[in-house]
Amino acid sequence: MLSRNFRLQKVGDFSWLKKYYNFEKIAFSLDELIVLDVTRENRNIDEFSSVLKDIVKNVFLPVSAGGGIRSIDDAKLLLNSGADKVVLNSTLYSNKDLIRDLVKIYGSQFVVGSIDYLTENNINNVFIENGTVKIDKRLEEYIDDVEELSIGEIYLNSIQKDGTGQGYDISLLDDVFKKITTPVILAGGAGNAFHLIDGLRQSSVDAVATANLFNFLGDSLPKSRRQIIENNIPIAKFH
Amino acid sequence: MKIAIVNYGMGNIYSVQSALRFLGVESEFTNNRNELLKSDKIILPGVGSFAEAMKIIKRLELDKVIKEAVLENNISILGICLGMQLLGISSTEDGYTEGLNLYDGFVEKFNFLDKRIKVPHIGFNEVVKPDDTILYKNLSNNLDFYFVHSYRMTTKNKNGVAYCNYGEPFVASFERDNVFGTQFHPEKSQSNGLALLKNFINY
Repeated sequence: MLSRNFRLQKVGDFSWLKKYYNFEKIAFSLDELIVLDVTRENRNIDEFSSVLKDIVKNVFLPVSAGGGIRSIDDAKLLLNSGADKVVLNSTLYSNKDLIRDLVKIYGSQFVVGSIDYLTENNINNVFIENGTVKIDKRLEEYIDDVEELSIGEIYLNSIQKDGTGQGYDISLLDDVFKKITTPVILAGGAGNAFHLIDGLRQSSVDAVATANLFNFLGDSLPKSRRQIIENNIPIAKFH
Repeated sequence: MKIAIVNYGMGNIYSVQSALRFLGVESEFTNNRNELLKSDKIILPGVGSFAEAMKIIKRLELDKVIKEAVLENNISILGICLGMQLLGISSTEDGYTEGLNLYDGFVEKFNFLDKRIKVPHIGFNEVVKPDDTILYKNLSNNLDFYFVHSYRMTTKNKNGVAYCNYGEPFVASFERDNVFGTQFHPEKSQSNGLALLKNFINY
């Protein structure tokens, strides 16, 4: 069963993206940018890499890129197109050798492992392939497997909360996160600055991510950053 | 002004070039001896393993060219991230490897007893400006720059060294004569980084 939140909004072509996700204007409110190609059919990494180049041309902050990376050449292409890190999801499960190779060649900090999970009947199930295929590992075990690959960061996304704008899945944190030694990026559900602040307050969370459209429009991100600072959460200051 | 960015196959050159272009400076991505020796300034980028990098640099004889450029032609060099580490004496990443020996610093992995301090060190962190500095000229103290690394440099030098604290103080940047290095990525450090790059370019 697909959570309704995974029905992707068709947002049109790149010019729409440029108009509404005007990164140059909001770049100074961000610490990092993640760009994911969630195309379902006919994914074309060459096209994606040129979109990536265009997005990062005038922003000077760390960029992670991912979506369908299946080989070292794919990763190399994105690195040469402006990415600092690559994000891998299904590959974490289905091709661990590739992960090990990427870590060996580029360093662990180059690899971000993305994990989508959904809690059903008190069991935290892990999904791959854009959240459509359930694998036979529970989140806790899966995180152990992933940590063995020595990647740089874990991007943990709650399928349940994703797209709801109702806040992150904080409840999971103590049990699952306490023993993770890899830096964690919390994702899925942020709708306003308070969610971001709540997430950042958790000691086991190193970063919070949002893809919520409303967080990108207008003044939201600069305002959120100001609120985070006002709440005494240590965050970078850019003049 | 022509900046040469050393091409040895490792490093996010696209972002460095974008930053330089934004600052109005053209740059050339090269490993050609003549081009490097003719450049106004050199940037040594780097992402990945120290051992792997030195292997490639030696194979391309770039170690000789870089040393000639810096020591004989007095061309200024800025090493970024792994590039900064490569300018040092040695690193223990993937075994023991000697660096370019243009700066007396040693590179070793962060090693914390407290496992709550996660490695790699990733994210923005504050840098304490050194007293005598070209890189941080006109910049305020305690600015944030972007770090992403598991290995870090330590040095006995006091002058020109900027420290950052992550579990312990480590070298965030160094500058001595015409040799400069930043552990952080200025091309990823928003306006703070652009200002620092501008200082390197303009001095």
